[in-house]
Amino acid sequence: MTDEAAFRALLLKGLSGDEAAHRSFLTEAAGLLRAFFRNRLRGRPEDAEDLVQETLVALHTRRDTYDPNYPLTAWMYAIARYRLIDFLRRSKLRAHASLDGVDVADVDPDYDASDARRDVATLLSKLPEKQRTAIRLVKLEEKSVREAADETGFSESDIKISVHRGLKTLMHLMGQEQPT
Amino acid sequence: MKTENLIDLLARNVEPAQRPRFVQRLAAMLALGLAAALLLLLLAFGVRPDMATAPIPVMLKAMFSAAAAAVALPLAMRLMRPGRPLGWRVGALLVFVGVSALATIIALMGEMPERRLDAWLGGGFPWCLVLVPLLGAPAAALLMWLMRSFAPTKLASAGAAIGAVSGGVGAMAYSMYCPVDSIAFVTTWYVLAIAICAALGALVGSRLLRW
Repeated sequence: MTDEAAFRALLLKGLSGDEAAHRSFLTEAAGLLRAFFRNRLRGRPEDAEDLVQETLVALHTRRDTYDPNYPLTAWMYAIARYRLIDFLRRSKLRAHASLDGVDVADVDPDYDASDARRDVATLLSKLPEKQRTAIRLVKLEEKSVREAADETGFSESDIKISVHRGLKTLMHLMGQEQPT
Repeated sequence: MKTENLIDLLARNVEPAQRPRFVQRLAAMLALGLAAALLLLLLAFGVRPDMATAPIPVMLKAMFSAAAAAVALPLAMRLMRPGRPLGWRVGALLVFVGVSALATIIALMGEMPERRLDAWLGGGFPWCLVLVPLLGAPAAALLMWLMRSFAPTKLASAGAAIGAVSGGVGAMAYSMYCPVDSIAFVTTWYVLAIAICAALGALVGSRLLRW
C-alpha cells in the first residue's frame, strides 16, 4: 500500500485514538522509512534501522504537527530528512563520505530487516522513574491507563502525561547518542 | 529492541491526540514578548522625553516595526510544522525589504544634499542595531521555546524567522525611545537591526531547536 489517501486515513484515525489504525500507520511508515534510509546509508543497515526507529518515535510524538491540508508523505519525509541530517551531523560524516568505498551489493540479503544498532529498551531504562514506570505499565505490560493509575497511585492524566513525556525523552535520548 | 516491538510499544493504548492550539499559543508568546520588551525599555532606558508631544512619529515607527514582524510571522508559522511549502511568504519578506530600500532612496532624494547624511545616520551611531536585538531577546526566547514543542525540520530557517519576528517586536518597543524620526533612518537601520536579529536567530536556532 503506497496509497497516500489510505495512508493518511490511518494517521488521522490514529490521531483520534484508534490503536489498530495507528499501528498500521507506523508499520506502513516503517517500510517506507526503511527504504528511504537504506537508500541513503548503503552498507550501513543497522544505522538505517536506528534511524527508522528514531523517526518512528518522532512521527509518533509529533503526530499532532501534521497539517491535513498537505500530503502526509511530505510531512513524513521532511521529518525523516531532518533525522538523517541530524544523524550525519552527530556522526560527523558528510552524506557523500558515507557512500565512499561501499558497494551497493554489500547489503546482506539475510540481514534481519529490523535489527537496529541501538537498543531502545536500554534507553527506556534511562528515563526518569515516573516516566519509566508509566511507559512500562501502559506500553509494555499492556495495562490500561486506569489500571496503571490504580497501581501507582498517580491520577490517570498524570499517567498519560508521563507516557507522553517519556516518549519525548526517549526521542531526546536517541538524538543525543553518538553513533559509532 | 526490534522495530516491530517498538511499533507495538508506540501504538499500544494510544491516546487521542489533542488538537494543538497553534494560533492561541503563538499569540500569547507574542503578547508576552512585547510586554517584556516594553518593560525592559521602561526599566533600562525610559521613553523619549518628548513622547507626549510627538506621538505621530512614534506611532509610525511602531507600525513599521509591527509590519516587519507581521511579514516574518507567516514564515515562522510555516516552519513550525514540517512538509509545507513556504510559497509566497518568502516573496512577501523580499517585497518588504525592497519597499524599505526604495523608501530610503526616495526619502533621501527629498532631503537637501547637505542634510542627507544626517537624515540617514540620525546624527550618530544607530543604536537600534544593538538595542533592537536586546529588546527582542525575550520574544525570541519565548518563540524558540514554543517552536521546540512543534517539529521544525529546517532549524536555521526557523530560527531566522523567529529572530526576524522578535526583532520586529523589539523594534516596536524601541520606537518609544528612539529619538530619530527621519524616514530614511528607520527604513535603513530598523531593517538592518531586524536582519541582525534574524542572523542571530539562525545561529541560535540551529542549535537550540534540535529535537
